[in-house]
Amino acid sequence: MTDDSDSNDRNALAGEFALGLLTGNALREAEALAANDPAFAREVARWRGRSAPLLDEVEPVDPPESAWDGIKAKINHAPTSNVIQLRRRVGFWRGATAGMTALAATLALVLVMRPQPTVSVAPAPAVASAAPMVAMLGDQEGMKVVASWDPGSRQLVLAVPADIPADPSHSHELWVIPAGGKPQSLGTMPSGRQMHMRLADALATLLQQGATIAISVEPMGGSPTGAPTGPVVASGALSRA
Amino acid sequence: MNRVTGSIDAERSRAELAELLKRVGARDSAALRDVYDRTSAKLYGICLRVLGSESEAQDVLQEVYVSIWNKAAQFDTSKASAITWLAVIARNKAIDAARARRLPAEGVEAASEVPDDSPSALDVLEVAEDNARLADCLSELEERARAMIRRAFFEGMTYPELAAQEGVPLPTMKSWIRRGLLRLRGCMER
Repeated sequence: MTDDSDSNDRNALAGEFALGLLTGNALREAEALAANDPAFAREVARWRGRSAPLLDEVEPVDPPESAWDGIKAKINHAPTSNVIQLRRRVGFWRGATAGMTALAATLALVLVMRPQPTVSVAPAPAVASAAPMVAMLGDQEGMKVVASWDPGSRQLVLAVPADIPADPSHSHELWVIPAGGKPQSLGTMPSGRQMHMRLADALATLLQQGATIAISVEPMGGSPTGAPTGPVVASGALSRA
Repeated sequence: MNRVTGSIDAERSRAELAELLKRVGARDSAALRDVYDRTSAKLYGICLRVLGSESEAQDVLQEVYVSIWNKAAQFDTSKASAITWLAVIARNKAIDAARARRLPAEGVEAASEVPDDSPSALDVLEVAEDNARLADCLSELEERARAMIRRAFFEGMTYPELAAQEGVPLPTMKSWIRRGLLRLRGCMER
């Protein structure tokens, strides 16, 4: 009886997830199950197949000629393989927290960030969580940077695809914005595809679930004011890996 | 999707499309153009249906084919027909876009939850009877459950949105839909 109702709950959850009904914690629970439980992932795939015949009723409409031009332009110079690699890495980080250290060790480029001034901030109310977290930094056009944060080792690893254009007259500066708080600089980003850095305690406590990681365009060398002055080109919220 | 699965032509075009997708997976851009010629009207129709706006639908259509270009190697012909797989990708992308528009505050978070971030998100498992059974089984549901499931499917409405629009408590909405989904599943697996 209990088994039946458990399995019913699971099946309903898979359907709710496939349809896109879920929000908040239920959504995160279903995402974690879909990534880690093959039986659940299969049931989600079944729901996609079950519901797909609804699309039969949609009438075809010819798109304008210009639509193909946009696709052609995107696939001709898109840094697609990078994005795929990034996404694979995200899956890897999500799947294997122990892999973090190994991953960091295998990164070809270890780039040192601008040394951090000691930032004086009020202690964060919550104790830093030990669970690794990931933020996918993007804008309307898609994901730009994947940030992975391991509170245990205070290592922040960034993976950058090729489509952040280098600009010799500006720097990209990395920020953490605690929920309800002000942006704190994590330093300027050197050019390069991957970088990792170890954060000072004062900054590490700011990297909590729900904090936002953002990248802004600043004058060469970083913001002169200590706060972002240029446009934010990518941002994303930290959540449990 | 192939309503006329019995016909030889449909079988042939189904096999050809699967073969083309395999070539797209090997980075053959001419094959992508061929896939586009065969499927863009269907996928654009889906984007338009979900989004309502031509300009948004065109933007999403482009994203859909860029995604196909990047993910075609994941298509598994033993799990679903190529057109079903493509149509589900279009539906999911269009719904993500519709949701980002409705919930700008959640935009960034939603973006990190885009289904195609993980390979399993592109998994579609279809069985031959689905086409025939879905309509019958949907018609067996209570009217309100059927209506809510359709809105979730075509508009990407979430539980809180549906509950607010229908003016019912969230648990009531969840219970309508959950019961409907389980009945639907039971009926289709019969």
